[in-house]
Amino acid sequence: MKRKDFYQLSLPLTEKLYRFAYTLIPDDLQAEQLVIDSINAYLLKERKSILKREVNIESKKDTQILRRTYFKSILKYLCEIGVRRSVQLTEHMKVLRPKEFAPFYSLDPKVRFVISLRYEAQFSVEEIEEIVQMPRYEVIEKIHNGRFLLLNDLNKGVTV
Amino acid sequence: MEKAYQSYQKKIVPYLDGSLSKDEKSEFEAFVLTHPEFEEQINTKKNEIELLRNMIPQVQLSKESAESLESELRASVFNLLKEEPKSIFDSLRIKWEEFVNR
Repeated sequence: MKRKDFYQLSLPLTEKLYRFAYTLIPDDLQAEQLVIDSINAYLLKERKSILKREVNIESKKDTQILRRTYFKSILKYLCEIGVRRSVQLTEHMKVLRPKEFAPFYSLDPKVRFVISLRYEAQFSVEEIEEIVQMPRYEVIEKIHNGRFLLLNDLNKGVTV
Repeated sequence: MEKAYQSYQKKIVPYLDGSLSKDEKSEFEAFVLTHPEFEEQINTKKNEIELLRNMIPQVQLSKESAESLESELRASVFNLLKEEPKSIFDSLRIKWEEFVNR
């Protein structure tokens, strides 16, 4: 694959990646930086396999499959770097947290990420396992806990 | 019978979460076909999921951020993915791309 093909394939992913970055760090610049750092980490690690790959850029189906593969692979790095960064920025995050999404941002960063993967991007549990590098039972546990805490918060809001 | 019903009730959320195995999923779907009243319970859970989705921020990139990300991505791809030239023309193409995307 030529690098300009990789560039064209990955360009439409930036907006989606940014959304995920924002679920971890709710700050425009920090989220932007997180996207770039994740792409760079991915390129450094997978450079050879990207360039080696034979791809028919004319085929819409091939392009879609490949784009999804790249998306998941970059998300893997985004999760690893972003969760760590989010923990480091815990104090700063208290100020950044958008008020309308306070219940969401009160969740643990990894739970937030898993919940977004499941309910926002509708990845299957198997795909999430692969992205967040966690065993299936932990992924399911995080989805259940996150959903319980969010809905619980919503019910509290209704009854008050 | 009651036990089986309850066990399928417990499977609604895992079904919607996509965490059931293939066999469990088709078993569950077959059960729903024979128990149409189950549909209502599934819909309630679906509504819950919709509520959850609204609690997740769905930000959009501003024009400036989109442009900045685009140029950062271009720089990363052209700096970090170094192609090996297969011919003299290839080498010229790579050099030209590098020059244009500096």
